[in-house]
Amino acid sequence: MTEQTTNTNVIDALNDQKIGLLSRIWQGRKWYGAEWYITGFGGLILFVILILAAFAPQISPYDPNGFVGAPFTPPGQGTQTLLTRSGENLAVDPEDLEWVELNIGVQRNKNGKKVADANEAASTRFMTEDEMLEGLETGAVDYIFVDDNMVSEILAAYPGFEIVATGLGTSFPLGTDNLGRDYVSRIIWGARTIMSVALASALLSSVTGITLGLIAGFVSGALDRILSLVMDSIYSFPGLLLAIAMVAMLGPGLVNVAVAVSVVYIPTFFRVVRGQVLSVKEELYVEAARSLGASAFSILTQYIFPNVIPSIVVVFSLNVADAILTEAGLSFIGLGLPPDIPDWGYDVSKGHSFLVAGHWWMITFPGIMITLVATGFSLLGEGLSEILNPRLVKN
Amino acid sequence: MVDNDILYTIQDLVVEYTTRTGVVRAVDEVSFTIKQGEILGLVGESGCGKSTLGKAIMRMINEPGQIVSGKLLFDNKDLMEISNEEMRKIRGNQVSMIFQDPMTSLNPVQRIVEHLVETIQTHDFSIDNKMGRSMAGKLISRLGIRTERIDDYPHQLSGGMRQRVMIGLGLVLNADLIIADEATTSLDVIVEAKLVDQLKEIRDEFGVSILTITHNIALVAQIADRLAVMYAGRIVELGSIYEIFENPKHPYTQGLLKCVPTISLDVKEQLYKMPGEPPDLTNPPTGCRFHPRCPEAMPICSQQRPELEDLGGEHYVHCWLYQDHPDKSSSTNEVTL
Repeated sequence: MTEQTTNTNVIDALNDQKIGLLSRIWQGRKWYGAEWYITGFGGLILFVILILAAFAPQISPYDPNGFVGAPFTPPGQGTQTLLTRSGENLAVDPEDLEWVELNIGVQRNKNGKKVADANEAASTRFMTEDEMLEGLETGAVDYIFVDDNMVSEILAAYPGFEIVATGLGTSFPLGTDNLGRDYVSRIIWGARTIMSVALASALLSSVTGITLGLIAGFVSGALDRILSLVMDSIYSFPGLLLAIAMVAMLGPGLVNVAVAVSVVYIPTFFRVVRGQVLSVKEELYVEAARSLGASAFSILTQYIFPNVIPSIVVVFSLNVADAILTEAGLSFIGLGLPPDIPDWGYDVSKGHSFLVAGHWWMITFPGIMITLVATGFSLLGEGLSEILNPRLVKN
Repeated sequence: MVDNDILYTIQDLVVEYTTRTGVVRAVDEVSFTIKQGEILGLVGESGCGKSTLGKAIMRMINEPGQIVSGKLLFDNKDLMEISNEEMRKIRGNQVSMIFQDPMTSLNPVQRIVEHLVETIQTHDFSIDNKMGRSMAGKLISRLGIRTERIDDYPHQLSGGMRQRVMIGLGLVLNADLIIADEATTSLDVIVEAKLVDQLKEIRDEFGVSILTITHNIALVAQIADRLAVMYAGRIVELGSIYEIFENPKHPYTQGLLKCVPTISLDVKEQLYKMPGEPPDLTNPPTGCRFHPRCPEAMPICSQQRPELEDLGGEHYVHCWLYQDHPDKSSSTNEVTL
């Protein structure tokens, strides 16, 4: 009996070795504990945003640059109610409405015109709400479109009106901007922009910074002095100013912005890597490797670099978050991406100027997205630095 | 294995470190030989230049230190004259080193097998991963670690296992000389005893020479064939282990042996405390460097440096007590006899 159990256990243990990568990652939660969940959460956020970015054309309901709604439509609104005068038999079952025969009063900068056009009804444009309501009362038009959320207020003021149909047209879950562009679409397409610019610039700066840092720390001497001096002078520049100078030199465009932003972050990688290399270089295992005849290249790639990775991962994730902000800053002053590329940073800076007017959603949603991406990268980096480091594995 | 074959000759080796306060001669005109298949112990106080000497033998002195002069004759080849690339090939292949602290001398992000295979492949490109793996597995089990454990990371092994892996790294290329720099210092006595035994076995089996650098004299007594005593960058006494333990000549060696604690409970007398402090090597004492602390110092000791004299039977002593000098009233032979 006991032997049987032992055999089963051995087989289980053997099978454990053969499980796939994904199930091993899933099982990892048992021994990594809190770090695993932190990483998982960060990874989940980034995964969702990556999906948004990858399938932007399929997911987004509108063209991010199309003026699809009324300007400043608040989140969740945009649907229209058709009102008419009561007591004149104008109100019919919405199913029986002959749209093409109607002349509907619509207000400037409201969604009524779009709904009327969509239903192929004629429309008469009024400049203000009061003019439009007066027009209905006096009989200039027989029907008007008003926003769903205004209906009860209007009916209280004009008891002679009645509702024909409600919930017409589409709503904008996240509202629209000052030009009537749909925010859901802009956020989905913005994910694509931000991911490509931030990742490209962080990759570019990490590759450059890590390479230079490894060389400077490992070779030391005059080369190290010169590189450190150059990097420190870049570092002493205000980041945004440097990015502005770079973009002004390179001109606008997705790739140029990525390059400009990356220059700002090269010194961060350089400094961290160089410092780590200097300390790892003195470790006994590096000397031991030398005493066994390991070449300088293999010491650099197999002994020093893997021991530097955990700090790089953390710096990388923080820099991606930072790069997003720099990129947004560039867009803010008009040096960033061309205006036809949807961009959260641009939306935030634009939303900020309309915040005073009460259009809170314009700055809130892109702001939340930027925070989410930054948080996602931070959590992922934080957790990974614990998990990647075999010294910290709990037995 | 011919017992008296000389494997490595060190001649007048001088290693200097340039520091803020001046030039430190950590190793000062040291000459000795290492024979084929012997275990040579190198003992001395902390800071006397033992580890520097060990590294200098592998030509691994880093800035700001440098080997100023001297010859390192290994297999009749002067290691001081070959290129860095050739030296790199000799390291590990012919001379390898086991380090002080087994806890930190393995790369924490590499598995044990990767360490071993990498070392093998560094020196022999023709060996593929599979073959290297089986070689590593054999070696590891030979050293008393279960073969399954070669896929572990260093932190998953105990201190003794790690030290055995380090020894394995030294052995995997069949090096002729292994320098064990305080290889057992951080281990507990039980693991230490096992390891010492293993070192001896390895020597018997593979015929390698081992230079053990330590300040644990009891350990040296256990394994070494010959012993070199170092003081302030110089070798003050060198001879067979029996010769030195039975009949220590140099006053420093005598003092050092009196400092060794014993575990007999009935010995209540206090341990010998050597007077004075180790000298400052930026400004070492003139003449014999031990004279300020020497109970038998003579006027000449502070003026002139004695030679490393053979007292017969390959027992070398660096002391005026056993050498002729102008101040002496009677001849040296009478003193020794």
